[in-house]
Amino acid sequence: MSGGPPERLEMPYLRGIPLPTSGPLWAGFGVTMVFAGLVTHWMVSLVGAVSAVAGFLAWGLACFPEESLEELPKGSEAIDAAPQLARKSNAERLVLPAEMHPYGSGVRGGLIGGVAMAVAAVAWGVLREGSVWLPINLLAGVFLPSVDAEDVQTLKTFQGGVFAIACGIHLVASVFIGLLYTVTLPMMPRRPLLMGGVLGPVLWTGILYATVGVVNPALERFISWPWFFVSQVAFGLVCGVVVSRSRRIRTMVNWSVTERLGLERSEGGGR
Amino acid sequence: MEAVLHNPETWRPGRGKVGMASLIAMESFFFAGFIVAYLFYIGKSAVGPYPREVLELKPVLWNSAALISSSFTVIAAVRGLARGRMGAMRVWLLATILLGGWFLWGTWLEWRTLIWDRGLTIRTNLFGTTFYSLVGFHAFHVTVGLLALALFWVLALLGRLKPARDTLRFELVSWYWHFVDVVWIFVFTSVYIVGMRA
Amino acid sequence: MSTLHASPHAVSPERGVLERLHAWAITVDHKKLGVMYIVAGLVFFVVAGLEATAMRLQLIKPLNDLLTPQGFNQMFTMHGTTMVFLVGMPILLGVGNYLVPLMIGARDMAFPRLNAFGFWLFIFGALLLYFSWIAGDGLYGAGGAPDVGWFAYSPLTSRTFSRGNSTDYWILGIMVSGFGSMTTAINFMATILCMRCPGMTLMRMPLLVWMMLVVAVLVLTAIPVLTAAQVMLLLDRTLGAHFFDPQQQGSTVLWQHLFWFFGHPEVYILILPPFGFISEIVPVFSRKVIFGYALMVAATVGIGFISLGVWAHHMFVVGLPPWLNALFAASTFLISVPTGIKIFNWLGTMWGGRIRFASPMLFASGFLGMFLIGGLTGIMLAVVPFTHQLSDSYFVVGHFHYVLFGGTVFAIFGAIAFWFPKVTGRMMSERLNAWSFWILLIGFNLVFLPMHFSGMLGMPRRIYTYQPGRGFELWNLISTIGVPVQIVGVGLFVCSMVRALVKGPVAGNDPWDAWTLEWATTSPPPEHNFDRIPVCTSARPLWDRKNPQDPDCNYE
Repeated sequence: MSGGPPERLEMPYLRGIPLPTSGPLWAGFGVTMVFAGLVTHWMVSLVGAVSAVAGFLAWGLACFPEESLEELPKGSEAIDAAPQLARKSNAERLVLPAEMHPYGSGVRGGLIGGVAMAVAAVAWGVLREGSVWLPINLLAGVFLPSVDAEDVQTLKTFQGGVFAIACGIHLVASVFIGLLYTVTLPMMPRRPLLMGGVLGPVLWTGILYATVGVVNPALERFISWPWFFVSQVAFGLVCGVVVSRSRRIRTMVNWSVTERLGLERSEGGGR
Repeated sequence: MEAVLHNPETWRPGRGKVGMASLIAMESFFFAGFIVAYLFYIGKSAVGPYPREVLELKPVLWNSAALISSSFTVIAAVRGLARGRMGAMRVWLLATILLGGWFLWGTWLEWRTLIWDRGLTIRTNLFGTTFYSLVGFHAFHVTVGLLALALFWVLALLGRLKPARDTLRFELVSWYWHFVDVVWIFVFTSVYIVGMRA
Repeated sequence: MSTLHASPHAVSPERGVLERLHAWAITVDHKKLGVMYIVAGLVFFVVAGLEATAMRLQLIKPLNDLLTPQGFNQMFTMHGTTMVFLVGMPILLGVGNYLVPLMIGARDMAFPRLNAFGFWLFIFGALLLYFSWIAGDGLYGAGGAPDVGWFAYSPLTSRTFSRGNSTDYWILGIMVSGFGSMTTAINFMATILCMRCPGMTLMRMPLLVWMMLVVAVLVLTAIPVLTAAQVMLLLDRTLGAHFFDPQQQGSTVLWQHLFWFFGHPEVYILILPPFGFISEIVPVFSRKVIFGYALMVAATVGIGFISLGVWAHHMFVVGLPPWLNALFAASTFLISVPTGIKIFNWLGTMWGGRIRFASPMLFASGFLGMFLIGGLTGIMLAVVPFTHQLSDSYFVVGHFHYVLFGGTVFAIFGAIAFWFPKVTGRMMSERLNAWSFWILLIGFNLVFLPMHFSGMLGMPRRIYTYQPGRGFELWNLISTIGVPVQIVGVGLFVCSMVRALVKGPVAGNDPWDAWTLEWATTSPPPEHNFDRIPVCTSARPLWDRKNPQDPDCNYE
């Protein structure tokens, strides 16, 4: 409505800070008493109203016609001198992760590790249970609730749709973990292969061992935990070896926009 | 100063405007609670009287016209103060107050008819409960707004207002007055249009 | 636009007790008001703790008769109401009150007198609520303190079932202190948006200030709806209206909708400021800049928005349509995403940092672990069938105490340990604080972990006793044993505060080598905060001043 130039930086307390006033105290007391009167006696409300009016009046007089302030020493309205700051530093700032493996190695590692895992799992199926299809059907059971309800004989036979779903899960999960390894392995202290190849499977097997029985007891009946662990380690080691053999590259976290666009190249950047 | 100049941001919104906008947002949610309750209970009264039997649209339309037009007169009053034309400001502000008073008087007349002639009280049924609370809280807010406007009118009569110093304050009060008007549009729609079918 | 007066304090610095009390009563200084908020909140914390202790003693064994059934109802109602409205909100708003102007380089809040008004409304509203212990009987000789639960479900609150005035005291006390919260929220909005010092852009504000901004928005949207619902209830009870009267087709579910539309954002009002405390403490004691600042801001705003659309997950057992339950379950899952982002960002901040486990960092770490557990059980409760099984059981009590005690209270203790030197100029004892932390952590888990098990075994909440032989005994016994441990933990912390006030070593301006503006002024700060208006050069202005050769602003 009242047009004009936009307000400048409003700094109300440059030369003084607000003076204490008892107005808000009486106003707050009064408002509370007005309500308290509803459950006690109307006289309480009346006293409250008087107190509130007095309080608001005192409050208003502290703000009108002009806000009453306590004067500050001279110079307090000045804006602090900004420190002299270096424009651009040569000191490197570490942003983690500083390095990672290329995504391609993750995909490769995931796929090869997935083959190793499949071999271990199928070996279990053939050697212990006498069926190639049992581990595959069980994997699909993670996704398909109906699989848990089947009896063991059915689970040992080939089922087209279930096979497709199991392959899908296996492929996506393998590649996903492989990609995860590209980022996490360089961040692991000292021996990435030990961490990614052994410790990771140990933790994962432990978590599943503790929870599958609660989350999906029907599925848990079929699982052979030693073999499960073997297949996990097979994946972890193979995937870890493939990923860690690739050359590490610096992440682009530290790069500026122009560097990312390829318009400029910093010293440490680039493949 | 160089680092600050990297980012030459020195503008801030005024604290009065942000404060009043926040107050209005808060009040909107308060009214939203009552409007939701009103809409939720349309047509659910166990016993009569029902809205279409007792509510009259015609006097309410006149009331609404008075309240809506008071939004325009208050704009004129703010403009008067901003330009230092105190006479115009006093006249337009008085018109605003009178229009607001008209609205309150009209509400009182409507309530008198409803309570004593048509037997609708807050205890009668859900319609009475939601109607009196919603319209009543709106009328309460109109009253508060009127008191604020009246305060400024008295100050103007006493010659205590200075355009440069007080225009923003008066404008903020006018924001509140506009808000009361806008709420009335929602209340009117809920009660006298949507709710009339029940 | 102001009249200037000479400083009244320059005349006589040595003043008597009465004069000093008077100075506190009429003050409009955000720092004094903040301290008063915090002290009042801590006093009510002790009161609510005593109420909880009474409940735990009653439940120590089956068929105990320490409390009457009605006494027990009053205890849990007052405990819940007090903790939410008279402990959590005032302490968090109080810390915000103290810190926000300092952190953004302002001399006071935008509306100092409104700030004082808000505080006095809170304190008088709180006293009105507690006055019900004396006067709640009203004329009927029934009642005392409110006994309808902190969410006061109708029709239990109707005149028929709640005789006397106790429920009216609940309504009025909370309503009045709610007015206080709302005025304070308006103040935060105006302060944060308008009073920032030169250079303090929105994306350079300390994260605590961002959290307080979102909290202010939530207060302004949620509390008015509670006030509206309470006014409706008051009309029902005093004028005979029928909002929540089923006999006149009034809907009791409407109360639940209105209450929880307030109630769930309220949960985030109680947890966002603690998120802010952690976001200030963790970087300083990890000696690293906060990980993912912009993402933290985005997550905060996201939480603010989503929290307005999850309320019906408190109502899964009401019988809402399945599609509605599914919708609210989905939004509840959704809100765990920004919350998870925050946890990862704090961990990312600690990762690779030179972590110093000073007492604020201890409490912050405790917060991370305990809040994580509470958050995970929260996700469990977002599953509708799971809630069908465990709604209104001790599992729920365990869940929200991990969030509000393990989360909010631990963060508050951490914040006190962190900013105590700034407020008083004295250092707290690191040893006492560490003892307090570990004992409190053990006591807390002793009390609240078993509740998950008794809840899963089927123990309902809000019952004054239970039958023997149902497997509840052991868990309840452990819970109660944890209470004295907690009391020792809290007691040690109080001792540490008192000791610091009496003979704590002088802190100096910046004892933790921190980076935000409040550490740039003296401890305690002068009444006008800063002798000159500070200038902000980056999100860590003090880092820039201490390391002008490598300032943050080059990396923004």
